Amino acid sequence: MNNNILEMKQIEIQFPGVKALDKVDFSLKAGEVHSLLGENGAGKSTLIKCLTGVNKMDAGAIILDGQEIRPQDPGHAMTLGISTVFQEVNLCPNLSVAENIFVGRQPMKYHQINWREINRRAEELLSGFGLKIDVTRPLSYYSTAIQQMVSIARAVDVKAKILILDEPTSSLDTGEVQLLFRVMRELKAEGMGIIFITHFLDQVYEISDRMTILRNGHLVGTYGISELSRVELVTMMIGKDFSQMFELERAEASPDANIALEAEHLGVPGKVEDFSLKIREGELVGFAGLLGSGRTETAEMLFGAVPSSRGSMKLEGHDVKINTPGDALNNRMAFCPEDRKRDGIISDLSIRENIILALQARRGFMKPLTRAEQQELADRYIKLLGIATPDAEKKIGELSGGNQQKVILARWMATQPAILILDEPTRGIDIGAKAEIQKLMLQMCEEGSSVIFISSELDEIIRCSGTVVVMRDRKKVAELAGSECTQQKILEIIAGAA
Amino acid sequence: MKNSKILGAVMAEVLLLLVCLVIRPDFFSISYQPTTGMLYGNIIDILNRSSEITIIAMGMTLIIALGGTDLSVGALVAVSGAVALKLLRWDVLEYNTPGDYTVCNFFWVLVLPLVVCTLMGLFNGFLVAKGGMQPIIATLILMVCGRGVAQILTDGKQFTTGYAPFKVIGQGSFLWLPVPIIITVIVVAFMAWFTRRTAFGTFVEAVGINRSASRLSGINAAMIIFIAFAVTGLLSGVSGLIYSSRIMSNDSNNAGLNYEMDAILAVVIGGTSMTGGKFSLAGTVVGSILIRTIVTLVYYFGIVSEATMAFKALIIAVVIVLQSEPVRNYLSKRRAKKS
Amino acid sequence: MKNILRRLSNPMYIMIYATVGIFLAIYAAGAAAYGDRGFLTLRTFVNMFIDNAYYGISAVGMTMVLITGGIDLSVGAVASLTGMFIAYGTAILHLHPAVCILAALVMGVGLGLLMGWVIEYLNVPPFITTLTGMFLARGVCSLISRESINIQHSMIDALAGWKIYFMHTVNGKWVKVKPIAFINFNVILFIVMIIIGTYILQRTRFGRNIYAVGGNEQSARLMGLPVARTKILVYGFNGLCSVLAGISYALYVKSGWNLSLQGAELDVITCAVIGGTLLTGGVGSMIGTLFGVLLKSIIPALITFNGHLLSWWGKIATGALLLMFICIQRIVVSYSGRKRAE
Repeated sequence: MNNNILEMKQIEIQFPGVKALDKVDFSLKAGEVHSLLGENGAGKSTLIKCLTGVNKMDAGAIILDGQEIRPQDPGHAMTLGISTVFQEVNLCPNLSVAENIFVGRQPMKYHQINWREINRRAEELLSGFGLKIDVTRPLSYYSTAIQQMVSIARAVDVKAKILILDEPTSSLDTGEVQLLFRVMRELKAEGMGIIFITHFLDQVYEISDRMTILRNGHLVGTYGISELSRVELVTMMIGKDFSQMFELERAEASPDANIALEAEHLGVPGKVEDFSLKIREGELVGFAGLLGSGRTETAEMLFGAVPSSRGSMKLEGHDVKINTPGDALNNRMAFCPEDRKRDGIISDLSIRENIILALQARRGFMKPLTRAEQQELADRYIKLLGIATPDAEKKIGELSGGNQQKVILARWMATQPAILILDEPTRGIDIGAKAEIQKLMLQMCEEGSSVIFISSELDEIIRCSGTVVVMRDRKKVAELAGSECTQQKILEIIAGAA
Repeated sequence: MKNSKILGAVMAEVLLLLVCLVIRPDFFSISYQPTTGMLYGNIIDILNRSSEITIIAMGMTLIIALGGTDLSVGALVAVSGAVALKLLRWDVLEYNTPGDYTVCNFFWVLVLPLVVCTLMGLFNGFLVAKGGMQPIIATLILMVCGRGVAQILTDGKQFTTGYAPFKVIGQGSFLWLPVPIIITVIVVAFMAWFTRRTAFGTFVEAVGINRSASRLSGINAAMIIFIAFAVTGLLSGVSGLIYSSRIMSNDSNNAGLNYEMDAILAVVIGGTSMTGGKFSLAGTVVGSILIRTIVTLVYYFGIVSEATMAFKALIIAVVIVLQSEPVRNYLSKRRAKKS
Repeated sequence: MKNILRRLSNPMYIMIYATVGIFLAIYAAGAAAYGDRGFLTLRTFVNMFIDNAYYGISAVGMTMVLITGGIDLSVGAVASLTGMFIAYGTAILHLHPAVCILAALVMGVGLGLLMGWVIEYLNVPPFITTLTGMFLARGVCSLISRESINIQHSMIDALAGWKIYFMHTVNGKWVKVKPIAFINFNVILFIVMIIIGTYILQRTRFGRNIYAVGGNEQSARLMGLPVARTKILVYGFNGLCSVLAGISYALYVKSGWNLSLQGAELDVITCAVIGGTLLTGGVGSMIGTLFGVLLKSIIPALITFNGHLLSWWGKIATGALLLMFICIQRIVVSYSGRKRAE
């Protein structure tokens, strides 16, 4: 009964300070579509990168067609028969569509590249995807959706044994998704094994045969598609935490507290639709919703990273216009971004410098904090947040994820913000650090700050928030308070059952 | 340990001087010349002659730390000299008769070249920070047409002047030392203060390492870039004044020729990475002095004076290869194995 | 017909159109202003090739380097060193020019490959690596000789003096066109190199890998393309082009001098940029570079014809052209970016 073409056994990958994958098993049969599910940081991408040789595994084995393999890099994986469409389009924007499909393996004629053949075959291939486009134009000329289709076309044309699709549908519209599914079904019928990663649950149920759920680097389980209901699936992804956590007081604001922030009809075209929100002083508002629901975009809009193009915003009753993060900073707002590495840490600077950065930015560079003041601030927050480091001069890049997150938190706490927006502050860090960060948020609320808390872990949202805003499809679809905030209810809204 | 990257340059410099000390100890002799009231000697000469590059490299360090380069500094040196000499020899243009007096106030002779160069630096900064252009290509524009501007200003003529106060800048002495050294010390001290005693240096490093994160921390990255280019323009102007005072003339074709290359080299040898990030002004000073030391040594040993360039290239190549990431990783791995 | 139009409207060609268009516009303006003084003659046109062939030959290699997203500052020095090899070899060592040229080729290609290797495997930025290469080549040049050495050899003389005159028939007899116009070895070498460059870029996998590396190096690696080999070979090929440019320059001035061609590298880069090559890599073409060279050489020609303007206006005009092209590129890039967002 073992018709697995791929088996991954007891895969372990250790990143600095966090175990990205812990004894994960995964198998793929020929001629099946196997969905890989989990929130960001669950380990999906890491598992894929391990399979394609981008990340090296610390323990475990990969068996392809009965042979143990050790992919060195994506090129090597491709020659082994593993073809991948990565999450970000990884083609060359300057080359033509046709060439992107064939570069490196162009058909030749008289020792010359046969452009006619390339263009003809590309047209043929893409028309199989329902794309009737001019394949001689540069890739950058076309929308992300088309680029995505082109990169799928390249992966498919290689005729691999295994096709990995990492979030291929995030930029496709319904019609395009259907086309992709048709192609996937054809490939399946030909006996190819397909690993499909997506955060659209509808699509999982539509196309997959089996699904594997990961959470925090652990395997939750592998199920046939009919064995799990949608709510059960969401529960497994973001529901009750496995680890025992201590009790936390929810940060609910007293009804007579001042309104700290009032947003009315804000919006960014294509990212956030008509968003209104009121937050009181000392209140913690949780943003629940799946990846891609508009949580992060809303946070960036409020902070001016991607300024709102309409609506109005009031802070403590005053009208404000926030067009840049600098404006937000001057209005005592703070924002810990989701992608810590890309948008948070300044890796080569010391902990001290990272901590004082925002405060210093508000003061302007001509009014520097003295070295003693900096030292004092850094030491205070290192102690307060329990940052594990010998001293404040260690580079932030050398810390573990949890400690980096604490430093970013310290950076904003040092500005004594009225409004603190935290986007996934607890992702990818260990349980202990998680609990500490949750405690800190609540402490901030007690001291009178208002906190917006975004998380994929529903449990921690419910545990901390006085109000829960539920987002779906770039819209705020519900606002629940007090006793309404139950896991069941929120899950139903997210799953779209309501 | 903290400054391990500048170690390469320091060691190379020390090694060179040590070799020199062994072979020809008289290289280090310094004598006092009562007639000019100045100290003379090879060491003084190295410091003196490296001042133009050191001054420019102070600004270049900031730009490289931001992840850019400025190719226009050499052309700005020519522009600065042209403006100064035009002001000093206003009469030539007006009446076509020789003369050593100035029509302009000497104050303007000093200030206007700096203003013009700062404005050109701002132009670079504008193209980079607001126009979103790559620094290397944005500054290529002024590099190409800067010398043309210098020639237009002076009508393509090369003026000479004998105006004594102007001569002081490049050839005078103060406290027994050549004035360029004094100016360099002042500039280095100011830049050290500006980058390390204000938060400007930290902001430059933050933007150079991670522009997105810096922006989200509320830093106005465009403003930082703007200032860095303006400062570099200003310092090129200072360097141009020293250069033209040394020759008491303007030379639109050769003034500051290849200065951009030497300044960039000084910065990189000094341990600042061309991809941006942490920078070291001290390293840059050492780098600049190292470049000049090589030249002076080759001249001093005379025998192979034609080899200056090749010798320079070899030493630079060694320093840069030693500093390169793979080599450093390899060395630190070996060190870790040993212990 | 429709097919051809569609193909011509491909945004890949916008930069080429800009270069050709601006060249034609300036040429037309020159014709309107100085047509009566002989600006329109074949001779003026051909002279632009003769006087700039060595820039053009070097620009062929430089274009490829720039397309990969790199830069090579050593070309002027390598070309100068080539001239010195030939001059010193023939005049002082009494070697056959072919031997000198062979030695120069080994030197140029070797240095190019070495720099490519350092860039790829030691991660030293191309700017610094090739700057060091420039110092090295210049230094060796000065070591050989600090004086200008005249090249006197029958083969070199023959090669330099070899000309093909443009002829036309007058009353059934072939006579040279007036004013006399001819092309020489350098022009032919230039045209041949442009053709070879076009062939490599358009018709070989190596050429397409150059574009892929410049478009997105990370992607190129993920697609399994031989990135390291491509980059190293490009610098090697550019070394070859520098040597050929050096030979061409030696034929042009018939001497070798350690300070010749100073700053030529930036002129060559300028030619490539106004020919539509993007310094960020990924975009560029040989046709564009050909017209970039012509565009750069038409400015001094115009200034000569004007007679009143002084030569430095040429520098300013070149700078203005650069600015204009960079702005056009910015607009094209942001246009295609906007297209993508839609």
